[in-house]
Amino acid sequence: MPRTLALLLAGVVACYGLNWFLSEFIEVVYVDYVNLIGLAIILAVGLNVVNGLTGQFSIGHAGFMAVGAFVGAMASILFTYGEIAAGPLAFAGLGSFLFCLLLSGLAAGALGVLVGAPALRLRGDYLAIATLGFGEITRILLTAQDSLGGPTGLKRIPKMPLLPGTETWDGGTSVFWIYLFVFLVVGLAVRLQRSTFGRAMIAIRENELAAETMGVPSARLKVVAFVFGAFFAGIAGALYAHYQHSVRPDDFTSVRSIEVIVMLVLGGLGSVTGAIAGAVVVTLLPQLLRPLEEAMGIDGLSMVVYALLLIVMMVFRPQGIFGQRELSLKLLRGLIPGRRGGKTP
Amino acid sequence: MRKALSVIAFFAMALAALIGGCKDKGGDNNSAAEAGEIKIGVFLSLSGKNADFGKTTKNGIMLAVDEINAAGGIGGKKLVIVDKDTRSQPDQAQTVAKALATSDKVAVAIGSVESGQSIKAAPVFQEAGIPMVSPSSTNPDVTKQGDRIFRVCYLDDFQGQACATFAYKDLGLKKAAIIFAQDDDYSKGLADFFRASFKALGGTIVEDVAFQGEVSEFKDQVSKIAAANPEVIFAPVYYGSIGLIARDFRKQGVKAPLLGGDGWESPQLIQLAGETLEGCYFGYHYDPEDKDEKVQSYLKNYKAKFNTEPNSLSALGYDAVYTVKAAIELGGGASPDQITQGLRKVKDFHGVTGTYSIDENRNAKKPITMLKIGGTSLSKVKVIQPGDLK
Repeated sequence: MPRTLALLLAGVVACYGLNWFLSEFIEVVYVDYVNLIGLAIILAVGLNVVNGLTGQFSIGHAGFMAVGAFVGAMASILFTYGEIAAGPLAFAGLGSFLFCLLLSGLAAGALGVLVGAPALRLRGDYLAIATLGFGEITRILLTAQDSLGGPTGLKRIPKMPLLPGTETWDGGTSVFWIYLFVFLVVGLAVRLQRSTFGRAMIAIRENELAAETMGVPSARLKVVAFVFGAFFAGIAGALYAHYQHSVRPDDFTSVRSIEVIVMLVLGGLGSVTGAIAGAVVVTLLPQLLRPLEEAMGIDGLSMVVYALLLIVMMVFRPQGIFGQRELSLKLLRGLIPGRRGGKTP
Repeated sequence: MRKALSVIAFFAMALAALIGGCKDKGGDNNSAAEAGEIKIGVFLSLSGKNADFGKTTKNGIMLAVDEINAAGGIGGKKLVIVDKDTRSQPDQAQTVAKALATSDKVAVAIGSVESGQSIKAAPVFQEAGIPMVSPSSTNPDVTKQGDRIFRVCYLDDFQGQACATFAYKDLGLKKAAIIFAQDDDYSKGLADFFRASFKALGGTIVEDVAFQGEVSEFKDQVSKIAAANPEVIFAPVYYGSIGLIARDFRKQGVKAPLLGGDGWESPQLIQLAGETLEGCYFGYHYDPEDKDEKVQSYLKNYKAKFNTEPNSLSALGYDAVYTVKAAIELGGGASPDQITQGLRKVKDFHGVTGTYSIDENRNAKKPITMLKIGGTSLSKVKVIQPGDLK
C-alpha cells in the first residue's frame, strides 16, 4: 500500500512537471497535440480491457464518452455559473471539477453495466452491432435534448482548475489533468492485466467455454470490463469537454469509436503499450502530415497518406506495432547487443 | 530486433517533432506589423465533406485580398493570408485556431462557415485576444462566445422571422407546414424561429415533420404534410435535400410553394430541381441580378479570376475581408485590439451582401433578399430589412 501511494504521488509530481515543461517551453499547438494524445490514450487503454483483454468486440465507445462529456460539462456549468449563461470563461473550482469528473465516470460506468449486461447474451458480430447501436442511440438522444443545447451542444464550459504556481502559464493546466488520468488508467490497466482478474479475462478471450469450466465467472468479468472501459471513457469525455470549452453530440459519432478501435488494432490488440502507441500514431499522424499537405498545396492529401500507411501496416504487420507484447525493461535489454533479455516462456 | 529498433525510431521521430515545436521565446507579436504586413488567419473546411463551403469562401477572401493588395494594401501594409484546413471537423477547427492564434500570431481571424466549427474556435481567439470574424455562421450562439467574436452574415432567428413574415404578409398564406432536419443546428434553428414567428403573426402550423440523418426518400414525411393540406411548406434544409423533397411533394400532387433559407443556394439548384422547384421561394444574401456597381464588379472579377460562378459564401468571404479593412481604418491600426475596436464601430458598410452595421451583439444587421425560382432563373421578389420586422 505505501508503494502504491508513493507511486501515485510520483505520478502527480511527474504530471505537474510535464505540465510545467510543456507550457513553459513548447508551442501551444504542440501542447494541443499532446493533450489530444492523452485523451486518446485514456480511451484506447480503457477500451483495450474490453476488446483486447476480454475479447468482447465493442464499437460503442464514443457513446460512453458522450455521456461522460455531457454529464461532466453540465454539472460543471451549473457549479461554476449556476446556469447556462453567457460571459467570460471561468475556472472550475478544484473540488467541483473532481466531483464532475467522478460523476461523469460513474454515469458512463452505470451505462456500462446497462450495456454490458444484455451484451452477455451476444457474441462477436452481434455484440459489435449492439454496441454500435448503443453509441448511435446515445448521440441521437443527446441531439434531441434542448436542455443540453440540442445539435450545437453545450458551450461556455469552464476551464480546468488552476494549480499553485500555474497562473502565468498560457498553456493552462490541461496537460496536468489529462495526464493524471492517463497515469491512472495505464496504472490500473497494467495492474489489472497482471492480476487474477486479468488472467481470467484473457482466459475468456481465448476460450470462454474452457474458462467457465475452470470456474471463471465470465458474466461478471465481462461486465467489469465494460464498466472499466466506460468509466474512463466518461472521464475522457468530461476532460475533453473542459478542454475544448464546448461539446456537441456530433463530436461522438461512430467514427470516433472506430478511431479508437484503429488505435488498438494498430498498436496491437491486448497490449497496453500497444494501445498507447496506437493512440499516439492515430492522433499525431494526421497532424504531422499537415505541413506536407500545405507544402504541396493539396488539401486532404494527409487523409490519403494516412489511409495508405494503415494499409501498409496491416499488410506487413497485421498483429499491430506491439502484437500482444508489452514494452518493458526486458524488451529494452534485449536490444543491447550481446545480451539476451528475459527468459522465454 | 530490427522491429524493436523501428519502434524506438518512431518514438524518437515523435520526440523530434515535439522538440521542433519549441517556443520561440524572443518572438513578439509585432514582427509582422513591423515588416509592413497584416496577417489574417483563415480557417475553413478545405477538405472533407464540406470542402465546397471552404473553397468557395476562400476564393471570395482571396479575391478581396488581391484587390486590396493591388491597390497598395491598407495604409501601405499588405494583407497576408495564413489559411488552415479544418477538414470539415469541428474539433480540428479548435486545433488550427490554436496554431493561428499562438504560432502564426495573426492580427485577425476569418472563419468558419459551419457554426459548429466557429463555436469551437471562438474560445481560442477570445482567450488570445484576437478578433474573429465569421463570414457565414448563422447560428445565434456563435457571437455569444465572447466579445471579440463577430460575424458579417444575418442570423438564423432573423432568417426564420423574415421567411415567416414573407409567407404571411407578402404571400398572404396562413397555413404552413414545416419539414426540417432534427439533428442539424441550422435546420432546427430556422424551423424553431419560423414556427414561433409564424404563430405570433396569426398563422397556423398545420404539420410539423422532422427527419434525421442522411435521408434520400421523403415519401412518408411528404404524405403526412400532404394530408394536412398546407398553403406553404417551410423546408429549411441544404441544397442536397431540397431537390429530393421537392420531387416527392410534386409526385404526390402537392402544389403549395416551398420556402427555404440560404442553405438552398447552390450553382446546381436549378439543374437539380429546376422544374420541381418552380414557383418556390428562398431567402438569400444578395440579388445576383442587382445593378449595384459593387455587386456587378464582384461578379465580373470573380468569374474572371476563378472561371466559375460565385455563390453567397464567396460573397460573404469577400465582404468579411472588406469589413476587416474598414475596421482597421476605423480602429486606427492593425493590432488585434485596434481591429476589435474598429469592428465594433462598423456602420452602414456597403458590401456585396447589402449595406450593414455591426450591432452591440457583434452581429451584422443586414437585409435578406427573397428570391423566386423560375424555370431557368432566379428573380428578386422582396428585400426585407431588419427594421421591417416587428
